[in-house]
Amino acid sequence: MAKSNYDLLFTPIQIGAKTLKNRFYQVPHCIGAGTNSPGFQMAHRGVKAEGGWGAVNTEQCSIHPECDDTLRITARIWDEGDVRNLRAMVDILHKHGALAGCELFYGGPHAPGLETRTIPRGPSQYNSDFATVPGCPGFTYNHEADKDEILRLQQHYVDAALRARDAGFDIVDLYGAHAYGPMQWLNPYYNRRTDEYGGSFENRARFWIETLEKLRNAVGNDLAVVTRCAVDTLYGPSGVEIGEDGLRFIEAASPYVDLWNVTIGDITEWGEDAGPSRFYQIGHQNDWIRFIKEATNKPVVGVGRYYDPEKMLQVINSGIVDIIGAARPSIADPFIPNKIKEGRAEDIRTCIGCNVCISRWEMGGVPFICTQNATAGEEYRRGWHPEKFEPAKSDKDVLIVGAGPAGSECARVLLERGYTVHIVDAREKVGGYVNDIAALPGLSEWGYHRDYREVQLTKLLKKNKGSQMALGQKPMTADDVLNYGAARVVIATGAKWSPVGVNHRTQEPIPGADASLPHVLTPEQVFEGKKPVGKRVMIINYDPYYWAPSIAEKFVRAGHEVTIASVCTVGAYMDYTLESANMHRMLHELGVTILGDTGCSRVEEGRVELFNIWGEGYKRHYQGSGKKPRGEDNTHTWHECDSVILITSRRSNDSLFRELKARKDEWADNGIDNVFVIGDAEAPRIIADATFDGHRLAREIEDESPQHQKPYKREQKVWGVPYNPGENPDLEWRL
Amino acid sequence: MKILVMVKQVAFLDDEFEMRDNDRDVEEDFFEKDLNEFDHFSVEEALLIKEAAGDDAEVVAVTVGDDDADDVLRTALAKGADRGIRVWDDALEDADGISIAKVLAKVVEREQPDMVFTGAQSADFGSAVTGMALAGILGWPHAAVICHLEYGRGAKTATLRRELEGGLEEIMTIRCPAVLSIQLGINEPRYASLRGIKQAKQKHVDELSLDDLDLDAGAVAPASRVRRMYTPEKGQAELITGSPAEQAARLAEIIKELRG
Repeated sequence: MAKSNYDLLFTPIQIGAKTLKNRFYQVPHCIGAGTNSPGFQMAHRGVKAEGGWGAVNTEQCSIHPECDDTLRITARIWDEGDVRNLRAMVDILHKHGALAGCELFYGGPHAPGLETRTIPRGPSQYNSDFATVPGCPGFTYNHEADKDEILRLQQHYVDAALRARDAGFDIVDLYGAHAYGPMQWLNPYYNRRTDEYGGSFENRARFWIETLEKLRNAVGNDLAVVTRCAVDTLYGPSGVEIGEDGLRFIEAASPYVDLWNVTIGDITEWGEDAGPSRFYQIGHQNDWIRFIKEATNKPVVGVGRYYDPEKMLQVINSGIVDIIGAARPSIADPFIPNKIKEGRAEDIRTCIGCNVCISRWEMGGVPFICTQNATAGEEYRRGWHPEKFEPAKSDKDVLIVGAGPAGSECARVLLERGYTVHIVDAREKVGGYVNDIAALPGLSEWGYHRDYREVQLTKLLKKNKGSQMALGQKPMTADDVLNYGAARVVIATGAKWSPVGVNHRTQEPIPGADASLPHVLTPEQVFEGKKPVGKRVMIINYDPYYWAPSIAEKFVRAGHEVTIASVCTVGAYMDYTLESANMHRMLHELGVTILGDTGCSRVEEGRVELFNIWGEGYKRHYQGSGKKPRGEDNTHTWHECDSVILITSRRSNDSLFRELKARKDEWADNGIDNVFVIGDAEAPRIIADATFDGHRLAREIEDESPQHQKPYKREQKVWGVPYNPGENPDLEWRL
Repeated sequence: MKILVMVKQVAFLDDEFEMRDNDRDVEEDFFEKDLNEFDHFSVEEALLIKEAAGDDAEVVAVTVGDDDADDVLRTALAKGADRGIRVWDDALEDADGISIAKVLAKVVEREQPDMVFTGAQSADFGSAVTGMALAGILGWPHAAVICHLEYGRGAKTATLRRELEGGLEEIMTIRCPAVLSIQLGINEPRYASLRGIKQAKQKHVDELSLDDLDLDAGAVAPASRVRRMYTPEKGQAELITGSPAEQAARLAEIIKELRG
């Protein structure tokens, strides 16, 4: 692939007084670092600048304690302490020639103030439609600002922008997407004022435009002024529509900005912006975004999970945007720009759109992770560079049994390090059960996880002559492994669903649930396709993620009548991956019957016995040994069905590992140094964590006790050290 | 019992490559070299017979090639072949299939095997000539493109199936020793284990010259010679633009040009 094809993507463009060196712009996105983990913040953004991004932004960066998004982690730029902590990020971006952007964030009641206990200000009083506390929409309220407080709020923005300048940032982005900040003033859904800040479009736009003007007056050309704007909130005339207020606002506010950073949607369903691949493909916002440039002569950056250079060229050439914005693709591969520039587009670690990164922010309080990029968030604390590896420290060769997420990633990293690696798998393809997942409706892009590793392993195996990958092999026995001649053995044999309905509520099988019978199936048997599945499908679900909805979708689309009996909310975790709302809409539309709060007590041919999980009575009595403190559940009823699919608990395929451990006395004679178990074979987990585990073992294989994680560098507040200069860190009673 | 397996180091091309100055081959740097795919199957077939026969059976991998070709012998040895023979002389640089067959015939005379396998063809040149030429020189029974084989240790005959045109298969009985060329898919070739790879490094490889085989450059002079190797020109495409009249005019022009 000729490099010059993509010259346009590497053409500089002006953003006000600042020059963006190319068309790659990491839009603001959360990572779980905030200002409390400055090393994490610095190193994660730093690798993107190193990887060629022309501009890299903070996550949403709160301008004032009135905007406190705890327990979700955001940056803050409240004081000198925050300025110091953010400066580390700015400096590394500048070192690599990238512009540094700070997103000025004021959430209104969408930021619940759980730490500061403040009440945010807004155009009117309303309670947040967003689940500020996960699962609890409608829980947090704001206070309607009077004119004094409007001035005060605008001054918060100005002061924060000046602090951003002090920290060395090049760009401030007034955050008005995702129903935050000035969007609450523009959007008639929230703004019910009747003074000059409410009512007509001009009045609703006033707060935003005045604030932009004040920012410009305060920072002049020291900083580029950007504003992130949702040009359509996607709920029709009761909100902002692109054809109405959206374009009018772009036109009216253009004189005050140097760059438009545009999105669609709100915060409650921000999966309409950060669209999961299950529902939205690359460039999915363009039906709305394509109109922006009609209303402005300022450059436009837009997002749409851009990972493909051809698509990037197309959206710029067709005049939809000038600059490629990305959050998730830049996490999956911080080196996208450089790889395109070097003609190595096939090496791009493509975002699969699973939104597991987002799930960590959405649930609150934890650092983010990435399914594709195991080093995301591990740059500072573990010292993991996404593209560079410590050379092998020994010539000990490695046999990896299993080429699924953990095994293939472990192999990739060991090969990158220069180890001799043999990979053996029973499947004909790299990827393990990702091959099955990618065959589920809507999840084909998850197959990029497999594809990336397949491409890289093929390349690395060519470079490393002693290494090989043997697919389609008979499952290895302990004797095979002992005789193989490897110094180190990694068991990555995955996990399987319980064939007898073992589940987290009883830790026992469900009576009669037996996947050796013709009418009972595990998900694995569904993929094998050997057992006929009857017209009426009953999914017994004890799993909180995508399995039940995906298998239900598969069968209902094939013409079956599908019921999910579920102890938990179907796809509960998908609330965090932003897939939940559309998944429920889809199951509803397809006519899948959902029986909530429902467990299964018995399976028979042609029927299952279900019960309400709350049916045992709420009163507790001590009744002596041998008797339960609550009553018998009397809600059991029989439901007819033809086939039963058990999605209950997973169990590790660890018998090979256990046998090898039991035969430890034979290791030395066979030249075996150590045997490890990784990924789902150690404990079932999501793909991201299995991938991480394979990566971790490959990085730490020469460390002490590589089976067990090496401690990482922690970022903690140090007792006795003030956060801000001049503060007394001692306890000071206010008496 | 001894089975000789004739193997070849074949070359694959990178996506992009350049020709040598003499235009008779691709520049060496653009080759990726590996054991001929067909030979994975012939080696496997020999190993299966050896394993069924017990310890006194020997599988010998033989190749004609320079130092670099040792890699393919080591691959066969790592899978379980017992020893290797590599024949080389600069005079073999331009050898064709017949020349190679002459060399291999001398190796067969020297080794006196009970059976000789070759791949049905090589993946790079695909002439499918060496095996049958070898049988012709030796005057041995032979069969090509074998997809199934029943042959036990010390047996006087082997029963085999070979692929014919139109999906036909032919069942034959053949007198042994014989030269059999092995088709893809006859078995499932094994991968070498790390132990096999390590042990292969210790296994013996005889390096023979033409002298050792009572041959000289004249005896192996190729009967054919590559004159030129080149990439044929691809068809051209042109995007015709302009007004309908301009497009029609251009189209007419092209038709005239092509018709001459």
